[in-house]
Order: sequence, then structure tokens, then C-alpha cells
Amino acid sequence: MHIVSNGLVRSFLKQLWLPVVVVAVLWVATARSGSFYFPPLSEMAGALWTGLTEGDLKGDLVFSLRNIALGTVIATVVGVGLGAVIGEYDRLRRATAPLLDFARATPTVAFVPVIILTLGIGAAPKVLLIFIGALWPILLNTISGVHGINPAVRESARSYRIPWRLRLLKVVLPGALPQIFAGVRIALSVAVVLMVVSEIYGSPVGLGNFILRSGSSFQVTDTWAGTILIGILGYGLSLLLLVCEHALLGRYFQRPPRARRAARTHAGHSSDPSHDAVQNADQNADQNEVS
Amino acid sequence: MATSTGRGSAPAYESTRGSKAGDGRDKTIWLQLLCFLLVLAVWTLVSAVGMVSASALPGPRAVAGELAAMAGTGEFWGALGDTLRGAVAGLAAAIVIGVPLGLVSGTYAAVEQSSRLLVDVLRSFPVIALLPVFLLVLGSTSGMKATVVFIACVFPIFLQAQYGARGVEPMIQETVRGYRIPRLLRFRRVILPSALPSIMTGLRLAATTSVLVAIGVEILTTLPGIGHMVTQEQQSGNSAAAYAYIITAGVIGYSINRLSGVMETRLLRWRPPAQAS
Repeated sequence: MHIVSNGLVRSFLKQLWLPVVVVAVLWVATARSGSFYFPPLSEMAGALWTGLTEGDLKGDLVFSLRNIALGTVIATVVGVGLGAVIGEYDRLRRATAPLLDFARATPTVAFVPVIILTLGIGAAPKVLLIFIGALWPILLNTISGVHGINPAVRESARSYRIPWRLRLLKVVLPGALPQIFAGVRIALSVAVVLMVVSEIYGSPVGLGNFILRSGSSFQVTDTWAGTILIGILGYGLSLLLLVCEHALLGRYFQRPPRARRAARTHAGHSSDPSHDAVQNADQNADQNEVS
Repeated sequence: MATSTGRGSAPAYESTRGSKAGDGRDKTIWLQLLCFLLVLAVWTLVSAVGMVSASALPGPRAVAGELAAMAGTGEFWGALGDTLRGAVAGLAAAIVIGVPLGLVSGTYAAVEQSSRLLVDVLRSFPVIALLPVFLLVLGSTSGMKATVVFIACVFPIFLQAQYGARGVEPMIQETVRGYRIPRLLRFRRVILPSALPSIMTGLRLAATTSVLVAIGVEILTTLPGIGHMVTQEQQSGNSAAAYAYIITAGVIGYSINRLSGVMETRLLRWRPPAQAS
């Protein structure tokens, strides 16, 4: 037990030192910075703190976060629901594959002007945009996750005549969950990007609007502070998802469920989830191409 | 493997590839066409009934007409070229920087471990949020667009190169060490080829991202390109043309996916297919 925690601490320290050094170097290097564009890091941190505690940055953060959460949650519900159905029926999956691929390949940012110019600058159009952008990765990953469930499992569920609701809850969704999580992770990063773009494009509030506002009034320190906050937000959200994933999918991290993962762990990799995400995304793309 | 027994056959893993040969494939194409027509029909219906205003969602016929009319103009191809130029410049820089860095950091475990958290934080940073800062520092230039694309693309490429380099089999590593193969040769002949499949994945992800980011930048700035055209057309009330440009963007993204898929199989033909699945 002692050894395990010791190892954990050590690996954490090994990962932590470089970011700490980078921040420290930046902190010192910019401390006396007279440059207009690169103010001292300490000032940025100060601006961030005052903005969050007494300024209007908090309101912007809440507005942005709420839009991201709403859009992503709706996209998850719709994407997983649709994906489970499409993934279950092989014919449906093959019939819709090119369309869905095309939809995923269409950059949602291109919809920003159209939707904001016609539906206004409020919160609803932004939620809609985030929903559209977040839907495709979740939907496609759910489809490929459901489709990728071991045929033997599928067959035995069928031969025991397990009712569809039970099958959905106990077989299909748990089997597809790792892929679904990978999809949600991609969707979250898409959501943050869409949040920023839509708020810069047209919005009275929000983090994107904050950095635009401060930038165009040449309050560079505030712009940097807002940009850093968006970065923290992006990382925080993906961290939050990772925690959820570990809580829900602990078993997948303890023991490699598939031969593929087993081979990977044998080759000396820990089952590092962040790399798996990229890998899973690729797997997904591959499977879509096969279809 | 034509196991089309009509009860949603659950083919084994190996047979998915085989089952698309023969008449199963014909049927799939018809189904796909049907699906496509269905979407078109729904689209027409929604826009014709007036559920959504015509400026938010013009009918497919209007959009197709605009697309056909646009395809002959220099403006369209100019915008396409501008977007692609920015995307390709950023992507190329990302490859030149990301692949070597990724290979080196993937080969040495210590480097990989120390940089993991930093890369993770930087990677999850939404690049487009740097735009206001870049607008201040670099101004609204095509170099700025390429820089933003570069930052967005370098992480997937870097990570995939790293991942690939980590996957070099221990036995091969030992052999290389045993024969004292020079470092440069080792990177060029051993690590790069074995990381190539993974790098290609990164490339594909990055290529899609590059176009997306380029368009995003164009929407938010006055830089010319497809994104700018979408904004301009929508602002001047010609939403059919805006949609035509959006569809163009989709076609670009889709073709990139397809092309890199083809390239991947072409480049990796030497690899035993067992590795793929």
C-alpha cells in the first residue's frame, strides 16, 4: 500500500515539475516586462482574481459555463439515444454512415454567423450551436461503441430473450460506455471552442465577449486573464469528465477488457485515458470508413 | 460472407470487411441514397412549411442553385484557396515541429512523463480563444491565421507521434541497442516507420482541425476565405449562398477524411493487416 502511494506521488511529481518550472520562468521573465502586449504574469493573475471576486468576469463565466453544460447535456442525451438505435440496427447504421460522416466533417463554426445573425445574440442560439457541434462526436462514437460490442455478448442476450429495455441498460449502454465517454470528451472541447467563437461573434456577455471587449479596448492584461481563464475552464472540464469516467468505468481501467488493450498494456503503456481518447476517436473513424 | 439473413445479422469482427463485397454493397448504396433523399425531403418540407425562417434555413433547391452559380466564379475559388492556404501552411508547420518532437519525447520515457501534464493542459486549451490576443500582437494577417492553425494542429500530431514512438516493440528496441545503431538512423529507420500509422491518425485529426480553425478565424476576423464569405453572405441577406459555403466547408472536411484514409492504406501497405484491428 505504501509502495503504491509512493509511486503515485513520484509519478505525479515527475509530471508536475515541468509545468511548475515553465510557470515560474514565465513569472520571472515577465516580471519586469514593459511590453504592452506581454504584461507580467503576476498582473494577469491579479486581474483574473479581481475579475472573479469583484469584477464582472464571474457573470461571464457563469453564462459561458451554463451554455456549455446545457448544450453538451442535450447533445449527450440525443446522441446516445439515437446512437444506440442506429448502432443496434446494422442496416440503419450502414445506410446513415455517409450522411453522418459528412455532418461530422462539416465545421460547426461555419454555422455561427448564420445562426447568430438570424436567431439573435441571446443564450439560446449559443446552446443550439453547442448542441449541433457536440452532437456528432457523441452520436458517432455511440454508434461505433454499440456496434463494437462483442457479437457473442449480443447473441447470448438475444438467445436469452432479454427484454429490450434491460438489454439497453445492462448490455448495450455499458458496453458502449468507454466509446461514449471518448465522444463526450471530444464534444466538450468542441463545445468550448463554439462557446468562444459564438461569444466573440455576437454576445453581450460571456468569456468570449470578455476577451473581445478587453482586447478591443486595449486592456491587454484583462485579455490575457480571460484567455487564461478559458484555458483553465477547458482543462477543468476535461478533468471533471475524467473523474466521472474513472468513477463509472473503474473496471475498465483496472483490467483490460479487450485483447487490444491487453496488447497495449503489455507493450509497457499504462492505460492512459487521454491517449485512449485520440486512439478511440481514430478507431471510430476507422470503423466508419469500413462501413 | 453474404450473411444477409435479414435479422440484423451480427457479423464477427473479421467479416465486417468481407460482408460489404457482393450484392450486400449494392443494397447498402441504395439505402444510403434513400437516406440522403429522406434528409433532403425533410429539409425541403421544413423550409417550405415555414417552420424556420428562410434566412435561418433556406430550401435545398435555393442552396443548390447558389452552389452551382458560385462554382463558376473566381470569388468562390479565391475564398477556397485562401482557406486552404492558411490551413495547409499551419498544418505543414505543425508536422515539421510536431513529428520530431513527438518521436523524441516518445522514445525517452523521462521526457514523455515530464511533459505529459504540460502538454495535457496546453492541448485542452481552445486555441481560438487566443484570437483576441493574437489580433493585438500579430494583427489581422494571413500569417496570424496560419499561426493559430499551427497551434491547433501541433498537439494531435505531437501526441500521436509520441504514442507511436512509445509503441515500438521492446524486442526491436533491444535489437537496435544491441547492434549499436546510430541514433539518427534509429529514428529514421526504426522509430519513424513504426510510429507512422499513429502519425497518420494524428495527421488526419489535424487536417480536419486545420480547416475548421482556419474557417473559425475567418469568421471572427476580416481575413478572406470561406468563413468570411459565410459571414458576408449572411449579412447581406443571401443565406442560400451562406449555406452553399457551409456545404463547401463540409465537402472539404469530408474529402480530407476520405483522402487521408486512402493515403493511410497506401502508405501503410507494407504493414501486416493484423495490426489494424
